[in-house]
Amino acid sequence: MWREFFSFELRHQLRQPLLWIAAIVMALMAFGASSTDAIQVGGAIGNVNRNAPVVIVQFLGAFTLLSMLIVTIFIAGAVLRDHEIGIADMLFVTPMRKRDYLFGRFAAGYVACLAIFIVIALGLMLGPLMPWVDQARVGAFSLQPYLWGFGVMVLPNLLFIGALLLLLATTTRKMMLVYVGVLGFLVLWTVAGVFTREVQRDWLAVLIDPLGLRALARMTRYFSVTESNAGLPPFSGFLLANRLLWSGLSVLMLAATLLLFKPQREGTGRSLFGRRTLPPSAPSTAPIVLPRRHAAHFSPLTPWRQCWQILCLDAAAVFRSVPFLVMLLFGVMNFIAGASLGGERFGTSVYPVTRLMLQSLNSSFTFMLVIVVMFYAGELIFRERQARIADVIDAMPMPNWVPLVAKCLALIGVVLTFLFVGDLAAMVFQLVRGGVAIEPLLYLKGSLLQAHSFILMGLIALALQVFTNNKFVGYFSVILLLVMQAVLSMLHFDHNLYNFGGVPATPYSDMNGFGHFLTGWFWFALYWTLFALALLVLAQAFSVRGLAPAWRARVTLAGKRLRGGAGFALAALLLCFGGTGGWIFYNTNVLNQYVPGDVAMDKQASYEKQYQRFQNLPHPKVTDVKADVAIYPAERRVVIDGHYRMQNKSELPLDTLRINVNPMVVTRWLDLPPHQITSDDPALGWQVIKLTQPIAPGASLDLHFVVDVTNRGFTNAGAPDSINQNGTFFNNADFFPQFGYVKRRELDDRNERRKRGLGEPQRLAKLEDQSARSRSVLAGEADWINFESTVSTSADQIALAPGYLQKTWEQDGRRYFQYRMDRPMVPFFAYLSARWEVKKAFWHDIPIEIYYDKKHPYNVDRMIAASQKALTYFNAEFTPYQHHQLRIIEFPGYREFAQSFANTVPYSEGIGFIADLRNTDDIDYVSYATAHEIAHQWWGHQVLGADVQGGSMLLESLAQYSALMVMEKEYGREHLRRFFKYELDNYLRSRGGEKIEELPLARVENQPYIHYRKGSLIMYRLRDEIGDVALNRALKRFLQEKAFQQPPYTNTTELLQAIRAETPADKQALITDMFEKIVFYDNRVTEASAKQRPDGKWDVRMQLHLAKFDADGKGKESVRVYDEPVEIAVFARAPGAAEKAERTLYLERRMLTGSDPVVTVTVAEKPFEAGVDPYNKLIDRNSADNRKAISF
Amino acid sequence: MLRSASSRWINLTYLNLGNVMLTISGLNKTYANGVHALNDINLNIPAGLFGLLGPNGAGKSSLMRTIATLQEADSGSIAFNGIDVLRDKDALRRQLGYLPQDFGVYPKVSAEQLLNHFAVLKGLTAKGERREMVEGLLRQTNLWDVRKRALGTYSGGMRQRFGIAQALLGAPKLVIVDEPTAGLDPDERNRFLNLLAEIGEQVVVILSTHIVEDVTDLCPRMAMIVKGRVLIQGKPQSAIETIQNQVWRKHVEKHQLDQYKAQFNVLSTRLVAGKPQINVFAESQPDDGFEPVEADLEDVYFLQLRRAESESRTSTTATATAAAGVSHVA
Repeated sequence: MWREFFSFELRHQLRQPLLWIAAIVMALMAFGASSTDAIQVGGAIGNVNRNAPVVIVQFLGAFTLLSMLIVTIFIAGAVLRDHEIGIADMLFVTPMRKRDYLFGRFAAGYVACLAIFIVIALGLMLGPLMPWVDQARVGAFSLQPYLWGFGVMVLPNLLFIGALLLLLATTTRKMMLVYVGVLGFLVLWTVAGVFTREVQRDWLAVLIDPLGLRALARMTRYFSVTESNAGLPPFSGFLLANRLLWSGLSVLMLAATLLLFKPQREGTGRSLFGRRTLPPSAPSTAPIVLPRRHAAHFSPLTPWRQCWQILCLDAAAVFRSVPFLVMLLFGVMNFIAGASLGGERFGTSVYPVTRLMLQSLNSSFTFMLVIVVMFYAGELIFRERQARIADVIDAMPMPNWVPLVAKCLALIGVVLTFLFVGDLAAMVFQLVRGGVAIEPLLYLKGSLLQAHSFILMGLIALALQVFTNNKFVGYFSVILLLVMQAVLSMLHFDHNLYNFGGVPATPYSDMNGFGHFLTGWFWFALYWTLFALALLVLAQAFSVRGLAPAWRARVTLAGKRLRGGAGFALAALLLCFGGTGGWIFYNTNVLNQYVPGDVAMDKQASYEKQYQRFQNLPHPKVTDVKADVAIYPAERRVVIDGHYRMQNKSELPLDTLRINVNPMVVTRWLDLPPHQITSDDPALGWQVIKLTQPIAPGASLDLHFVVDVTNRGFTNAGAPDSINQNGTFFNNADFFPQFGYVKRRELDDRNERRKRGLGEPQRLAKLEDQSARSRSVLAGEADWINFESTVSTSADQIALAPGYLQKTWEQDGRRYFQYRMDRPMVPFFAYLSARWEVKKAFWHDIPIEIYYDKKHPYNVDRMIAASQKALTYFNAEFTPYQHHQLRIIEFPGYREFAQSFANTVPYSEGIGFIADLRNTDDIDYVSYATAHEIAHQWWGHQVLGADVQGGSMLLESLAQYSALMVMEKEYGREHLRRFFKYELDNYLRSRGGEKIEELPLARVENQPYIHYRKGSLIMYRLRDEIGDVALNRALKRFLQEKAFQQPPYTNTTELLQAIRAETPADKQALITDMFEKIVFYDNRVTEASAKQRPDGKWDVRMQLHLAKFDADGKGKESVRVYDEPVEIAVFARAPGAAEKAERTLYLERRMLTGSDPVVTVTVAEKPFEAGVDPYNKLIDRNSADNRKAISF
Repeated sequence: MLRSASSRWINLTYLNLGNVMLTISGLNKTYANGVHALNDINLNIPAGLFGLLGPNGAGKSSLMRTIATLQEADSGSIAFNGIDVLRDKDALRRQLGYLPQDFGVYPKVSAEQLLNHFAVLKGLTAKGERREMVEGLLRQTNLWDVRKRALGTYSGGMRQRFGIAQALLGAPKLVIVDEPTAGLDPDERNRFLNLLAEIGEQVVVILSTHIVEDVTDLCPRMAMIVKGRVLIQGKPQSAIETIQNQVWRKHVEKHQLDQYKAQFNVLSTRLVAGKPQINVFAESQPDDGFEPVEADLEDVYFLQLRRAESESRTSTTATATAAAGVSHVA
């Protein structure tokens, strides 16, 4: 019997177009995610193979969560449909058994969902085979991970989801309530994740996730590339426990469903939600009434009244419909989750400024509109026909355009409503979090900008629905359009003129507003709106009224309908469309350069191929820079009138200048001495000049140049720019001429290099390369320079450059600032101009100035205090600060970093300025980042490393250490311990994303996860091992010896020599492990118990596991003997007290033998917890199991 | 019984409309699947209730949809009140009330709301007039008390009454109702037909049905359509008179039925007290067992049906013969 239910239901399910649409959409997502980085499902996959087993399993798992709303339709629908279409009565009078009925239906729904997942799996399998995928990142195909994924993730998850839905469906018998239940589940799932994130023992988070995603993540989170590519985690431990627990619960839910299900007519049984009364039906005998009857009056306004009427009815129907409400709720929920975590750094949140709210809405809420718009375009066009009311409405006296216009407007209303609800949610969020001003006008602008592309998509979807005149063909063609767009951009066809609905980005900054980005957006928006309108006029002509005629007849009819006004409108729209397109082309491709991604890479390759041979040739060096820089913020124009003094520092006469200029700007040389141009490549900005009169050794040459940076019209991409109406920030590398071959311009993507016939990427010269020490890490053919610059800007702005203000004046409505540096500085300088508030303070007699936007006063005082503390510590422990002023300057958040120039620290509005540190327990990364940047005045601006491996360690790891010491002094070591958890987690996770090779710290090749994250961990461990006094002494000596040195520049070998000189003999090997190798630990307490002794003291017995590994650049590990002492500890804590309140009863470094030693220590009080490396000072593959509660 | 209801309000409204007339000539339509749905239809329909009889699939709905501007014809013309319907659809729509056969509603919308919606679409944009008319029609169709209820909760009869209410919005001069009495209980059906009859005194009302009795009782004029062709048009009474005294009845045994069917032109068979009773068409008494009966429209209907069937069975090319079989009765 159940077989009959099963096969009947399955046939029905498999014939549902929605099933296949859902399957195809998700398969496309899977395909996209496995073939490009542009699409992510459940997070980026980093640099592991695209088809690595772990990746496949994670995808399959993530899709079970994503598919939940779809699965609802099939599983809950399987038991609710009978009620909805009214066949339940017929069915329930048959002598069927409810067991057979339920089981058959459920099994069919389950199998239908499995079918979806098989299609998804096919998408995953196909993705890595695509020609654009780097084949080096594709492993051998194996079916095993798919089977594992289905067995461990998909099957149990679908069982759980299905059982939950079935239970909800049979108890509530309302699709709406089932959806509410699903949403409830998703909310709880998300909330559980947030709440259990910080819990010390994350087994709870792992166990209470019914979908097992967290268990899987827990078991694979620190997999290196090699491990991820090689295989899957064992199906044991947390994962097994989780799967057993939830599969068991699923079976229980199914049993409960069987008990609770009543095969009765809806409403006749006892309801769980109170009694419902059926309304009486109306009698048919009517009294005689005598209404007057009115004939209709038609005026030119009548069609608009009709249009409004349809619009209201249709919009109301959408607003009341379940899918809309579900998607809205889901979106809001997703937004709240996203916004709560958005902008968080080191667990410290940011003030929810409106700018960030809009960003959060954009990334976690608005995307739901894709589905809303696509779905309701079909629903609206076919609404009358679905309700079988179309014949009546089609026979109404209204023009053809009326319903279509009404539906377009209704869809626009739906989009706007959706966005405005999001805005409201965001405002409520802002009110709850507090501390920020709500900017309704900004919400409006941001939402309208967002709305446009969705409205456009909706209009096109409507037109396609009308053309195809079949809802599912219509859906399919919209999907096809979306796929086409994605494929085009993957193939680097990214001009918005043909990328349907494409508009340039409109990034928002609190400082710069929407800046100049709106102009380009406006023209593209207009362009595509005209196109959509033209398409709609055409659709109107093709719209079917009454019975659909054959295609030929439709074309004839459309031709007829296009005679007259409609045809005229179509022609006019197309004309405007063409005209706008021409204007856009003129702006993006004539006034500006349009360089598609692949062409840009071709250029990079061509640069490398042609000019790499000039890499190590001797070249005169820049010794003096004098520049008049005029910034015109309103026109976004910069004119540089510059002078270089070049000196021949070599032993031989030099007659060749190898010049790099930015090919996007106009660079002119004035008064060049007699010369010959031997090579000129304006496309790459490369020029070689041979001087008739060589420069003798030690002699100098003065060069005069003018650079004109103009930004005319608008660009295709709307990429953030460094010259802005308010918030200009550029450095010399952007526009000033540079000399010699610039290695940074090389292409470093392996696959792209191979395509262009280039060899393996080589990021940096080897540490041992002595010849490479002639150039510093910061600049090519320049050492220390004398610097002087006059900057002018508009009258309402301040302009800044390194150096000290000599004088300032106004002339012709512009402000001029003259800066001069009083000592040689690193050849790396920046110019800034904006409207700032300025706050001044002092450290001793050195002024500290913060230039900030008036919307962001939150952390200005904190930055001043941090600057004072940093200056104090560095002056005391290292060497004196070389400048007599310090400036911190806010710039627009298009870029999120802070950077240190001589006495000048530009600091993005996106970090620090809006950090919310009202909770004093939170990690104060504002002070930390400030101290870090100030430390660069030493590490970078006093000591400058050579451009070889390890160069960025000398800059960044030492700045990290310096800042950490400032923080330790201020907040204590406990505060830092939490900070290190983030650093460790970040390091361990990021190494999986390594593109070429992980290197030891001392050989780091500009890899941020090594020089920042691992740098902090290693430097602080070193501080712990040899003490801050010894370490600071080593650093001080290093500074004294190397500061302001001329070439050859220093390297990490020399730094390590300085450190080793301060390190006791027994720790020399450790230095090697930390800096010259990649070493991991995996220590844990496996068992801890305690007994009270007769004397009242406690014996604590700990069973430990110790492990130490070497890893190679690909993450392959080899076990080593545990050859160093390890810290073990016992802590006491009052019951229920936080970790902060613990007291250390025992803490000692001990040399232990064997991988599983047992240690017994005696403590004076009742212990609570035992730990090995309890403060996570080591790079431990799993830092969460280093402590264990003591059992008695 | 049928003409007893009050006609006061109708007279008020449909005053001075002049002599309206719907003229259909040479109308043809062949569907993509080859079905010849309308085959040279020629009809003159004056004001009054006009019955359109025919079996399922005869082309009634195609004809009505074509008149209601919902479908294109391959050839031919339709004129109403000086309007070339196939060209100037909007002009006809302004005078049209249409109740299609398969009529649905938005289940979550109330009757009042939807009727109001339709009223606006019909061009009743003046708020006061519209409210008055919606209220009047809701009362007239006795849906006033349940006007706030969602249409999804309506019974079949209530829904049908709602359909009628919408068809009467805006004082139409041409009312087309396709199988309107299906699903109505006898009481409702009577009321409905009364209403139509009253309206039909001044405007053209086309009523399609396969219930022959409705046409006999109500329609001053009628047409019979089978397989896309008009077999008969005119006054029902005239049609009946053409076969008067040629219909005979006999009670037969069950096992004899096939034999009779082969032997005579059996128009209809029905069971009376468990025994078959047949009506036979013949110019003279077939045998002693037969007794003459008063012919009615049903007999005409079945006779036409049988003829059409036998023609298509004997030859599909014999269109000329078929045309000869068509009776045009005045």
